[in-house]
Amino acid sequence: MIYSSELIKGTLKTIILKLLADNKRMYGYEITQKVKELTSEKIQITEGALYPTLHALEDAGLVTTEAEYIGKRVRKYYKLSKSGQTKAKEKVSELADFMETMKFLLDLKPQQI
Amino acid sequence: MYPLSEEQIDFICRDIQARGVEMESLQQDLLDHVCCIIEQNLEANGNFEEFYFQTIRRFYKNELKEIEEETLFLLTHKNYYAMKKIMLTSGAFSTIVLSAGILFKFMHWPGAGVLIVAGIVLFSLLFLPLLFTLKVREKQEIRDKFILTAGVISAILFSLSTLFKLQHWPGANIMGVSAIGIMILLFLPVYFFTGIRNAETKVNSIVTSILIIAAAGLLMSLVRSPGNSTFINQLDTAYFLRNEQLLQTEQKQLQTLLETRKNAMEIPAKTAQINLLCQELKSYILLKQTGHQTLPADYETKQILLTDNWSRDHFTEGTEGAEKLQELRGLVETYNAENSKTAGFQPVPVKATILDQSEERTLSMLQHLTQIQLQVMQNEQNVLARN
Repeated sequence: MIYSSELIKGTLKTIILKLLADNKRMYGYEITQKVKELTSEKIQITEGALYPTLHALEDAGLVTTEAEYIGKRVRKYYKLSKSGQTKAKEKVSELADFMETMKFLLDLKPQQI
Repeated sequence: MYPLSEEQIDFICRDIQARGVEMESLQQDLLDHVCCIIEQNLEANGNFEEFYFQTIRRFYKNELKEIEEETLFLLTHKNYYAMKKIMLTSGAFSTIVLSAGILFKFMHWPGAGVLIVAGIVLFSLLFLPLLFTLKVREKQEIRDKFILTAGVISAILFSLSTLFKLQHWPGANIMGVSAIGIMILLFLPVYFFTGIRNAETKVNSIVTSILIIAAAGLLMSLVRSPGNSTFINQLDTAYFLRNEQLLQTEQKQLQTLLETRKNAMEIPAKTAQINLLCQELKSYILLKQTGHQTLPADYETKQILLTDNWSRDHFTEGTEGAEKLQELRGLVETYNAENSKTAGFQPVPVKATILDQSEERTLSMLQHLTQIQLQVMQNEQNVLARN
């Protein structure tokens, strides 16, 4: 099963921030591959969603980039800034909390009030 | 693993550009991404072009440009919220500051001027332009954009004209009239005729139009017509000149009286000094107001007229006017003290006059300087009559 893009959209920022928090620096293709690998291909990040989000994160000062030449082309590595590290923790715990609430809301965990 | 040649990389790069991706950093991202996919997934003897077009096709729904559009949307969206926040904050802040300024003004507390100016400047140069930039994006139709533009320009001009009026800066009237002109002649017709066509907005449009015309009408009825202003200035100037004439004639007569007496007398030094200073101050005011130290005989044809506006700005601390006025006040005070014992002496008032800077308008300042001259002269006549 591959999740719908609506579901991915709301969590993409969190996914990227968390991945960058766990790996020192990553380039775009690497991020998509890593997500695919970690989720056994259940989550596939599209290029059309990944790059706009990366650029928005960069604009917000949460990630910084380092450019490196690979032969003729430039590879841009993305890494978390100081505020990005804090934000990553915030986003992850927010999503975790959200998932708990969703479990309860969707009646998947009726024992808890 | 497929080894990409430099030509192939150039080819991909050009193709990405040709598909409408203009941001360089996004081009670099996409180029590297496609290259990675090709290198990883295409066999060494595979068909490069075919594989490339299949790969790039997976990046978008309709066209590759979407990625850039989405990026730009996210980037401006962030600004949008920041701008909205600044707009609301500056709007609330400027109105509070302006209201506080007005309260301070009525209570005669210090700082009223600064508050009012800051309030108006923030309102017209930060809040209104931001409001415009944010709202204009929401409007689709050219007509709506026009209504918004005309409305905001008119509002900015109007509030700046109030500021200029308060600060006695030139151009206030032109701005005010342009603001009302734009409002009535450009904004209103388009707004009205757009609004009444739509059943939903019909009543609202009519009511708002009536309110705008009524407000503009009330405002204009407070404004003096330019012709009438000239007429009033002529009257004021003639009035001032008549007083000057009376004063000079009296002074000449007193001089003659003193000189032709059996035991000739001289005007005391202090009186002469006060007189001279008053004359100098009047010249100073005239110079600042009309550009002439004395009004020429043909002042009417040359349109060199006095205007009854504020002259206090020429008497702020450190100006020549303020120094002279201070000197005059000192002279008058010693003059009053020295002569207080003289029978029939009328002291020259200082409190709530030009001397303590209570009077601030051109005409009343000129008027009072003449009155001081007349008073010291009458005191001399009094001495003369008693001897």
